[in-house]
Amino acid sequence: MSFLTLTSIQKSFGPVQVVKDFNMDIEKGEFVSFLGPSGCGKTTILRMIAGFETPTGGNIEIGGKSQQNLKPNQRNIGMVFQAYALFPNMNVADNVAFGLKIAGMPKAQIDARVKEMLGLIHLGHLADRFPYQMSGGQQQRVALARALAPKPQVLLLDEPLSALDAKIRVSLREEIRMIQQQLGITTVFVTHDQEEALSISDRIVVMNAGRADQIGTPFEIYNKPATRFVASFVGTLNLIEAKVVDPASNRISIGDQGITLREPLGSVKAGDTVSLALRPEAGSIAEGAKGDTALTGEVVSSNFLGSVIRTRMKVGNAVISFDMFNAPGLTPPAVGETVTLRFTASDLLIIRE
Amino acid sequence: MSIWARIAGWAALIFGLLYFFVPLGGLFEFSMKARRGVYSFDAYASVFSDPQFQQTFGYSVIMALVTIVIGILIVVPTAYWVRLKMPWARPYVEFLTLMPLVIPAIVIVFGYIRLYNTSSWLPLTGSVMGTNVLLAFGYTILALPYMYRAVDTGLRTVDVATLTEAAQSLGAGWATILGRVILPNVIPAVLSGAFLTFAIVIGEFTLAALLDRPAFGPYLQRVGANKAYEPFALSVIAFGITWGCLALIQLVSRFSKSAPRKA
Repeated sequence: MSFLTLTSIQKSFGPVQVVKDFNMDIEKGEFVSFLGPSGCGKTTILRMIAGFETPTGGNIEIGGKSQQNLKPNQRNIGMVFQAYALFPNMNVADNVAFGLKIAGMPKAQIDARVKEMLGLIHLGHLADRFPYQMSGGQQQRVALARALAPKPQVLLLDEPLSALDAKIRVSLREEIRMIQQQLGITTVFVTHDQEEALSISDRIVVMNAGRADQIGTPFEIYNKPATRFVASFVGTLNLIEAKVVDPASNRISIGDQGITLREPLGSVKAGDTVSLALRPEAGSIAEGAKGDTALTGEVVSSNFLGSVIRTRMKVGNAVISFDMFNAPGLTPPAVGETVTLRFTASDLLIIRE
Repeated sequence: MSIWARIAGWAALIFGLLYFFVPLGGLFEFSMKARRGVYSFDAYASVFSDPQFQQTFGYSVIMALVTIVIGILIVVPTAYWVRLKMPWARPYVEFLTLMPLVIPAIVIVFGYIRLYNTSSWLPLTGSVMGTNVLLAFGYTILALPYMYRAVDTGLRTVDVATLTEAAQSLGAGWATILGRVILPNVIPAVLSGAFLTFAIVIGEFTLAALLDRPAFGPYLQRVGANKAYEPFALSVIAFGITWGCLALIQLVSRFSKSAPRKA
């Protein structure tokens, strides 16, 4: 049975409907990320779980109990904000102890719990520091400890890494995941960074215009995008328009080159256009590269990106990108050169929405 | 900047300082002339030894403190709530708080007397305590523009919405949020408002005189009407108190800028 249930959640601000009939079940101890562009409704859902926004329709249940009439301070939910939101007038220990004092815990227990939490985030030595004396990463770790101290039933993370620099972001997201697994706390994480979502989540909800376009594991979201939006938002993807040649045998053509798909084309007829998706890392132009399918085209650009070289080639009217891992002695194809990209037909996905 | 522009700037500054300080200097010099032929502090000694001075000054200090407490209790939650939940209402609330600058104190006090006289539904003027309460609320109204602006400016420097939500998610109710999170973070602003309130209350005449309370303002007026040198000494003392308050505001705001954001 699911622990956090969102049923037919809707939210409108005046005439604008920002969340449209959102449904989801989250298991106890699960780490779920809400991924999507700005304004897609992901933060609004998080704020409705926290109680800061009231749903226009639908119901939110935690542990089988409806949260409908509970105020934010009655929900026992821990929340970490993008802007840290540490209380500037309190030092680290007092910040972490805040929720425990509100709960009326005896002082000895508060001290022990604060020590335990600061140990968890490896900042025990900074207990007397004030927020202004700490870096962004340290402040966000304190905010995490503060949110976890009262043992909340759900942890909500509202873009907690957005304000941090790239290196800290990576280390902190790993730390968050580690602590989450250690405590087994049900966590909802909001982000617009696909790499963050893919790297730490059990499941990802890709949000688009107030709806969940796809809910799945990072692997499913990346490899089997359900919609054109998911395909284009998560990772880099070639979206190729192809012409149906023979629906019965799943035969299509890109430019003047024919390909047989593994996935059934469905209810289309010859001459129709279908959208196909292909990841840049799915193919290779190396000699002897494996793959049952090939496309030949002319190189239009080649960009060195450090660990990979991204090359674009033209096949008919389509421009297809593919990646080559950087290696000593590798010579990127020259612009104008004709290359053959080999890949497995099953890597070509049909985008139906 | 040309040399002439610089000279003109200095000249304007010196003129302004002279315009301000020469009369004050004259005031101070005259207050020292109580003893014929020599400068002395006789007028000051006379003022300080006057039991009425001590009584009225003490009364006004207490009233100022009460006014400050009432002001904080009214203004901090109001400014906080407007910032948090009703940002659209800010211009209206600001306009409302400016009204005491437009409506003369005499209009306010006549309104009070008419509303709260002994034959009204709430006869506050019928007892000493009731009149004191009325006076404290009147002072609160007079100090409202200064107190509200100071607190609102303080709240602007704090991320009120996020701090509130953080505290709520940790189980805090409104009283705890205001008392333990918001107020400690706007203390310098509240103190600025408090010192301005103190300076206003200490010298206020109209409300106290018409409500017949033994405050420092009416005492100043009485002494001014009946004595020669003491009113000037009192004026210097009143200036000293006001400047002291302004210096404290400066001190507090400088403290809040340079020191850790503990308060």
